[in-house]
Amino acid sequence: MALEIPKVSYSGKIKEIVLGKGDKALTVGGETSYPFYLFEGQMPLKPRIAMEVYDSPPEDWAPTALEPFADVASDPVAWARKCIDTYGAEMIALQLVSTDPNGENRSAEEAAALTKKVAEAVDVPLIVWGCNNAEKDTEVLKKIAEDCAGRSLMIGPVTEANYKQVGAVAIGYEHTVIASTPIDINLAKQLNILLGNLGVPDGRILIDPTTGALGYGLEYGYSVMERIRMAALTQEDERLQFPMICNLGKEVWKTKEAKQSRDEAPKLGDPAKRGVLMEAITAQLVLAAGADILIMRHPESIALIQDMLNDLLAA
Amino acid sequence: MSKIICSAAIRGAHNIVDKAEQKYQEVLDKWGPDHPVGFPNTAYYLPIIYGILGVPVSKLGDVRPVLEKCRSLLPPLVSEKVWLPYLAPTLEAGMATFFAEEIIEAIRYLEYPDFYTKQEDPIGGNIWLGAADDIILRKRGVEFVDGTAPGFAAILGAPPTKEIAAEIAKELQEKNLYVFMCAENNGVRMSEQLVEAGVQIGWPTRLVSFGPDYTATVFAMGFATRAAMSFGGIKPGDFRGNLLYNKNRIFAFAMPLGPVSDEWYANAAGAINWGFPVIADTPIPEILPTGICTYEHVVSNVPHSEIVQRAVEVRGLKVTVSKIDIPVSYGPAFEGERIRKDDLYLECGGGKTKGVELTVSRDLDEVEDGHVEMIGPDLDQIKDGSKLPFAMLIEVAGRQMQEDFEPILERQIHHLVNYAEGIMHIGQRAIMWLRVGKAAVEKGFRLKHLGTIIHAKYHQEFGAICDKVQVKIYTEEAKVDEVLALARKVYEARDKRVDRMTDETEETFYSCTLCQSFAPSHVCIITPERTGMCGAYNWLDGKASYEINPTGPNQPIVKGECIDPVLGKWKGTDEFIFKASRQKFQTASAYSLVHDPMTACGCFECIATILPLCNGVMIVNRDYLGMTPCGMKFTTLAGMVGGGEVTPGFLGVSKHYIASRKFLLAEGGLKRVVWMPQMLKKELEAKLKSRGEELGIPNLFDIIADDTKGTTEEEILPFLEEAGHPALTMESIL
Ligand code: SF4
Repeated sequence: MALEIPKVSYSGKIKEIVLGKGDKALTVGGETSYPFYLFEGQMPLKPRIAMEVYDSPPEDWAPTALEPFADVASDPVAWARKCIDTYGAEMIALQLVSTDPNGENRSAEEAAALTKKVAEAVDVPLIVWGCNNAEKDTEVLKKIAEDCAGRSLMIGPVTEANYKQVGAVAIGYEHTVIASTPIDINLAKQLNILLGNLGVPDGRILIDPTTGALGYGLEYGYSVMERIRMAALTQEDERLQFPMICNLGKEVWKTKEAKQSRDEAPKLGDPAKRGVLMEAITAQLVLAAGADILIMRHPESIALIQDMLNDLLAA
Repeated sequence: MSKIICSAAIRGAHNIVDKAEQKYQEVLDKWGPDHPVGFPNTAYYLPIIYGILGVPVSKLGDVRPVLEKCRSLLPPLVSEKVWLPYLAPTLEAGMATFFAEEIIEAIRYLEYPDFYTKQEDPIGGNIWLGAADDIILRKRGVEFVDGTAPGFAAILGAPPTKEIAAEIAKELQEKNLYVFMCAENNGVRMSEQLVEAGVQIGWPTRLVSFGPDYTATVFAMGFATRAAMSFGGIKPGDFRGNLLYNKNRIFAFAMPLGPVSDEWYANAAGAINWGFPVIADTPIPEILPTGICTYEHVVSNVPHSEIVQRAVEVRGLKVTVSKIDIPVSYGPAFEGERIRKDDLYLECGGGKTKGVELTVSRDLDEVEDGHVEMIGPDLDQIKDGSKLPFAMLIEVAGRQMQEDFEPILERQIHHLVNYAEGIMHIGQRAIMWLRVGKAAVEKGFRLKHLGTIIHAKYHQEFGAICDKVQVKIYTEEAKVDEVLALARKVYEARDKRVDRMTDETEETFYSCTLCQSFAPSHVCIITPERTGMCGAYNWLDGKASYEINPTGPNQPIVKGECIDPVLGKWKGTDEFIFKASRQKFQTASAYSLVHDPMTACGCFECIATILPLCNGVMIVNRDYLGMTPCGMKFTTLAGMVGGGEVTPGFLGVSKHYIASRKFLLAEGGLKRVVWMPQMLKKELEAKLKSRGEELGIPNLFDIIADDTKGTTEEEILPFLEEAGHPALTMESIL
C-alpha cells in the first residue's frame, strides 16, 4: 500500500496587498498554505526584499556593512539609487533614525522633505520606518503622509499608542500602515481590529510582529509568526490574514557579533562573512515562519536569500 | 414626531425647493444646460447629492433630474385634519431641502464667483468661506478620524449678544469641536458677532463662517458626507452607509440660535437623517425618544450657559482631558514612594483619623463635570504635622455607567492618587490611609488636587463609562461622618449584591485571554462564582473591562444551555473555548479538577491537586516556599501545569475561588480539601469558617491539615483520620 502523507487542511488565505504604485508596484501575500509548503497549497507571490537606506550617515557600522555604501552614505537619495541601479533593489526602506528625540532629534519637516526627495528619486515601492518613539513617529509620519499624498508609501511602525493619528492620515492620503506589536499574537490581532474599526481598508495593512536577530530573541518572534500564520490559515482568524514584514537588517547588524573584528573575536570566523551570514540566516528563518517582506542591509545576504527563494519557489 | 415640527419642516422644504427651481430656471435660460456648475476644487461634485444619490452634477443640465427627485421626495403639506405618522416623510423633506440648497449655493458660485473667499480664512472684509475644498477636507477630515476633533456644531442664527457668542464659541473650541456657522437671527449672524468680539475666525481656529444664509448649512452637511466617502470608503450613492458612518463617527449636532423658521426646521429635519440631533435655545417642541439619533432628537429651550454641555450629552460626545493640572509630577514612577514620619505634613485615615473614599454613580443631571469642591481646611490652612479626618466622595455619571462599575472605579483611587509625587496612599474604602509630604505642600499641592487627578484620570482611563465626574473632599468631622454613613450603606449593598450573584443568575460570563501572550492556548472563563486564576479579575472586572475596551482580552460569553451543572459546562463557554484556544480545546469545566479542567497559564495564585492516599485535594499558594504533601514545591508544580495546557488532576485557582460555593463542585467542594499551607489558611480563615458552617461541618477549618501537621501524605493522614475529615469517607476521587 502506498504511503499517504497526511496533509494540513487550510481554511484561510492571506490577503494580497499591493505595495507602491505604477509599473514597479509589487504584490505580496496570497498564501493558502504554510510557508513553502507548496505540496499543500499555494504561495503565488514571492516574498519581497527592501534594501535599507538611512537618513543620516551611519556611525559605528561594521566595515563589511558599510563598504558597499561608503560612497553614498551621506546622501540618502544617491544611496537609494545605488541600491536600485547597482544591486537591483525591488524596494527601498528609508530608516528615519535621525528623528529619534534621544538622538539627533531631527524635525518632522526635515524628515518629510527628505522622504519626499527619496520618493521622487525612486519608482520602486518605498517603506518609511520611524524611530520607534510613538510620539515622535506620529508627528513625523503624519507630516510625511501629507507631503507624499498619493505616493502609496508603507509607513510604520504604527502602534497601539498612535494608530489613530497615523491610521487617519494613511486613510486620507492613501498609504499602507505597518501595524507593529511587541511579539504577541493577541496584540497583533487587536491592533488590526482597531485599524479596521478606524476605517483603514484591509488592502492597506501589514503586520510587523517584531523581529529579533539570530541569537537575540529570534526564536520568540519566530514562534509568534508561526502562530499568526496558523491562526490565519487554519483557524479562520480573519484579522490575522495579512502579510508580515520583518525589519531585520538593523537588528542583525547592531549585534556585537556582527561588528566584532577578527582580533576581538578570533574564534568567530571571517568577519567579512560573519555578518552577512547572520543576516541571511535570520532572513531565512523568518521566511520559514511566514514573512512576506524583509528589510535587509547587505547586498550579499540579499543575493543569498534571493537564490534561496528562487530555489524554493521553483515548481 | 411632533406635528408642529413636521408641518413646519415640510412647509420649509417646499419653500426651499421652490426657490431652487426658480433660481435654476433663471440661470438655465441665461447659460444653457452645458454650462459647468459646482463647488470649487473638489472631486465630489455637489457632495450631498453625489454622496446620497450617487449623481455627479457638473453642468447645469445635470441639475434637472435632481430637482425632479426633490419634488418626488417632498410630502404634501400637512393639513389641519389629517394625522399621519410623520417621521419618514419629514426626514425625506429634510433630504430634499439639502439637495435644493446645494443647488442654490452652486448657482451662487456661478452668479457671484467671488461671493465666498474659497480658502481657509476670511479675506479683507469678506468673512464668508463657502464650501471646503478637497485640500481642507483631507487636512481637517483626518482630525475627525483620529479624534483630535470629534465633530462639529452646525450653528444657525446667533445668540442675543456678541459676548454670549464668544462664550459659546470658546466652550465648543474647548471641546475640540469645529463650529460651522450660517444663517441669521433677525439680521444678526454669529460669525459677525465673533469678529466684533475680536475673536479670530476661519478654519485654523475651527470657527468656520460658512455663509450668511441658512442655505450654507449644506456646506457643513456636505463636509460630513464627503468625510464618509473619503475616510470611510463609502461609495457615492450608498446613502445608508454614509448616514450611518456619520451617525456613528462624526459627533455633530445642529444648534439653532433664535426663532426657528420653517426653513430652519427643514434643515434640522435634514440633519436628523445624519444622526445629528438638534439643540435649540428657543421653546420649540422636543422630540426625545431615540431612533435615528443615538439619544434624543430635538432638545429645546436650553439656556445659553448650558447649551454646549447639553449638546455634548445629547450627542454622546466624550470629554477628553489631556493634561492633569497639578503642581507636582505625576506618573507610575512615584507609585512606590513612601512618606516617612519626618517628611510628613498631613496624615488622614489609617486608624489615626476617620478616613473614607467612595465612588458612586448618579444621574447625568446630578453631576457637574469637573466640579471639585473642598469642604473643610485644606493644606494651606493647617500646620505641618497635622492629622485630619478625611472623606472623598466621587460622583460619576455616564450613559454607559452601571452601578456595578462603582467598585472598579473606586479601586483605582489607590494607584491614581499614589502616582502623584509626594503623596502616599494605602488601603481603600473606610480603611484608606493618606499621607502628604512636606515637599509636595511646598510645591503648592492641595487636597483639592486629588479631585483634579481623579477627574482627569477617570476621563482618560474610563472615558467609555464616565461622561461626567465631580469630586468633593471633606476634612470636617461632621461631614466626614455623613459620608462614612453613606459609604457603609453602599458597601453593604455592594457586598450583598456580589454575594447574591451566582453562576445561575447571570446569563453572561466573561473570558480573559490576557495570558495568551505567554500561554498561547490559555483561556480563563470568569463567572460570578469563579474569578480568574490570577485573582486579579473577577466577573465585574471582566464586564467593566469589556465596556471600556471592547476589542480587549475580556469578551462576553453568553453561557447558553447548561451541559452539566456539576462540572460547570455550558454550550456557550465550550464554543468560546474552542475558538479562543485556537481550536486546541473543545471544552472545559468551571468546577472540576479531574474532568476537563481549565487550562492553566502560569500566573495562578494557587495550585490545587489530588492527594490519592487521603482521597482529597491540597492547595498551595505561590507565597509558600516549602514542601507540600504531593511531593512537589509550588515552583515545581507551576513548571508542570502552566503554559496554557490542560493537566487533569491539577488546577490553577485564585484564593477567592477557594471559598466559593462552586469550588471543585464536581469533586465534592471544600469538603475535599485536606491540606493547605498555614499562611493560606490564615488568610482565608473567616471565609473558610463561614463556608464550613454552611456545609454543616463547623470544624472544617480546623480539620484541614497544614504544614505544621506535616508535609507528606503519610504525615497528615493520621491527623485527618483522628479529626474524622469528611474526604476520607467520600467516594474515591480517582
Ligand atoms: S490568569 Fe488572570 S490575567 Fe491571566 S487570563 Fe486568567 S484572568 Fe486573565
